[in-house]
Amino acid sequence: MSSAEASSPSLSAQLWRRKPVNHMTDSGHAGPDLKRTIGTFQLTMFGVGATVGTGIFFVLQEAVPDAGPAVILSFILAGIAAGLSALCYAEMASAIPVSGSTYSYAYAALGELVAMVVAACVLLEYGVSTAAVAVGWSGYLNKLLENLFGAGIPEALSYAPIPHEEDATGFINLPAVILVFLCAMLLIRGASESAKVNAIMVVIKLAVLVMFVVIGLTAFNADNFENFMGAGVAGIGAAAGTIFFSFIGLDAVATAGEEVKNPQKTMPRAILLALAIVTSVYVLVAVAGVGAQPASEFEAPEQQSAGLAVILDNITGSTWAGTVLALGAVISIFSVTLVTLYGQTRILFAMGRDGMLSKRFASVNPRTLTPTFNTIVVAIVVALIAGFVPSGYLWDVISIGTLGAFTVVAIGVIVLRTTEPDMPRGFKVPLYPVTPILTVLVCLWVMYNLPIQTWVYFLIWLAIVLTYYLVWARRHSALNNPDARLPDLPDTMKGH
Amino acid sequence: MTIIVGYQPDKGGRSSLELATLLAQSGRKEPLAVVTVVPQHWSTPSMAKVDGEYADWANQQGKAALATAQAYLAAKHPEVEVSFHQVSGRSIQSALLQACKDLGGDLLVLGSSSDGRVGQVVIGSTAEPLLHSSDVPIAIAPRGYRTGAAGRLTRLTCSFSGTQESKDLLLATAQMSLRVGGRLRIVTFGVRGRTMYPPEVGLRAEDMVLQSWTEQVTADQEQAVELLRGYGLLPEHTTKAIATGASWVDVMDELEWEPGEVLVVGSSPIGPLARVFLGSRAIKIVRYSPVPVVVVPAGIAKEEAADAVEAAAEAGPAQTPPSR
Repeated sequence: MSSAEASSPSLSAQLWRRKPVNHMTDSGHAGPDLKRTIGTFQLTMFGVGATVGTGIFFVLQEAVPDAGPAVILSFILAGIAAGLSALCYAEMASAIPVSGSTYSYAYAALGELVAMVVAACVLLEYGVSTAAVAVGWSGYLNKLLENLFGAGIPEALSYAPIPHEEDATGFINLPAVILVFLCAMLLIRGASESAKVNAIMVVIKLAVLVMFVVIGLTAFNADNFENFMGAGVAGIGAAAGTIFFSFIGLDAVATAGEEVKNPQKTMPRAILLALAIVTSVYVLVAVAGVGAQPASEFEAPEQQSAGLAVILDNITGSTWAGTVLALGAVISIFSVTLVTLYGQTRILFAMGRDGMLSKRFASVNPRTLTPTFNTIVVAIVVALIAGFVPSGYLWDVISIGTLGAFTVVAIGVIVLRTTEPDMPRGFKVPLYPVTPILTVLVCLWVMYNLPIQTWVYFLIWLAIVLTYYLVWARRHSALNNPDARLPDLPDTMKGH
Repeated sequence: MTIIVGYQPDKGGRSSLELATLLAQSGRKEPLAVVTVVPQHWSTPSMAKVDGEYADWANQQGKAALATAQAYLAAKHPEVEVSFHQVSGRSIQSALLQACKDLGGDLLVLGSSSDGRVGQVVIGSTAEPLLHSSDVPIAIAPRGYRTGAAGRLTRLTCSFSGTQESKDLLLATAQMSLRVGGRLRIVTFGVRGRTMYPPEVGLRAEDMVLQSWTEQVTADQEQAVELLRGYGLLPEHTTKAIATGASWVDVMDELEWEPGEVLVVGSSPIGPLARVFLGSRAIKIVRYSPVPVVVVPAGIAKEEAADAVEAAAEAGPAQTPPSR
């Protein structure tokens, strides 16, 4: 044993040590407290903007085969799980006002080990989901090109090489890879999406989805809803697990807590309002989609890459509606990719600052004032996934990761209420302890219904991350050295 | 060496004369060359001398301009050694650069354009292309600039980002500070990244990035000071500052500025090496500066830094220069 290790705290002390909360609050603040300026409407817009578009453009093709027409119930179920989680998230965020997502909350409330588990989950929620979204974008881009010019990008360059069910395969999903690097380039240059652009994106997304619903309902055939519960509770549960991915982002509402006017009232209102809007749109899309074609058709290979646009083409018998929808999807999913990729880089940045990752992840390029190294690494990994793995493998993994993170947040709420009852909280969940307990139960139930294969991937991934933690991160944690709170800078950034 | 002043009577002419005087009178006295650019007349010979009257008019304009400058300098700064030149060329920029070459100028001083607020550096249509193409340092006076009571350089603020180029610039500026007597201030500017919406990882993620950056820059500045000290090039009363804010206005507002202060900015190394090529950040720093700005091409900063290091090594062989 090296001397450094001998002087470090015991293993169990390391595993359960928590990042002091007040120390977290001051490390993230550059200036005086920001004014509370965000109202219900704007907060709702954040929620809708962050949520819609992540999944609804792709998820029907995955979920309808599992649940049949009862996919509508799956949507509602997933919505409830997401809404409950968002409430817990909001309390956590108000108690621990730091950046870095669920990972930071877990670090402060539940200790380093759990923080690493959450970090593993969050890598799926952000990193893998960026890849999946980019793959979906590629499908809609191809659809758009086909509709506009009669020819798209060749299959070899627009599909991943790994086979998934009966989907087409190719050599690489090039558009997805390009999209990821394009977004990374924008992030390195310090580009960001303003609140105004976010609002525009919300309008675009909702507009094309409403168009889908309206056109879809013209082809409504009640026969498609026969044998509504055919897939049974298991099918509904499995579909809800997959669908859950399309509710990711609702928790984003919570992270704005510190700047929300009268959070105790505004926060639940905005969460519930955003949830109501999102769930209604999703359910309408599902009703329109299932009403327009038999459940079995959702599995057709031609629908796998730009599902909603293909359904519209089939209904109208012409391409204009599919083209408009594909265009809306291409624009709005681009922004989703940018925002999710950004989220991933900033979470890793927080981990780099904590010493859980190499300090290089927390280094800032003096020219651009952005974490260049971090962004490039994230972009390469995400681009590899997007280029070579079909999205069919990704959705469930993202869902399980997100559900895992949300479960931890809900448990964290209970733990913090017990261990730190007097801590100031801008927002407290209503009906404590029912809400967090219910959140845990619903999330676990949805997770339980996910395919065994997904669980295997998830557990392997967790094992990898935890091994990494035990071998490397545990010894490099910034908490090992409480006096030197500010981590050493990497040599490369010091200049020569 | 000579300081060249690009002079036009109306467009910020006086402020450029004032700045040139300030720079010429600080430390070693240097001569000024006031250059005014007149329109080039049509050189094609023609029987009717169609362009003759125009050429005469241009000539008179130039003479009048130089006379104004002369009168102004004679009244306010009679001690300055100054010469007056009238040049013409295909464009004002190329004429000024040619004049620099012909007169052996090593600094070109310009005024601010008149379409901006008084007291701010406003890059006009003459300065703009020069900032991208000049091979000598360019000094730009804020609109309505006057040297004031100080009459000489009191402080040189060096814009330092932590890159190798900015270290060269710092060495060059430190040497200049030692030569002309102004104090040295090392400043790093950081604008907080804009908040990303919707806020998936919180509205304060960029504060965290800025915090990391500040820690990095603090160490970089420390190290730069050590570097200067190692070379024996550290001026007395050198200060350091990091200015951060949500916008460039906020950032510039963070700092105190004194009369007789000059801000030194390096050009981007991305452009041709020997020329000034302002990066997007440097352009912002120049635009929002409340004091005169000297923009130094990356290539020149490098040469100056090498010279400074060499001179320091000769002056004090006892000191062991640290590895750069």
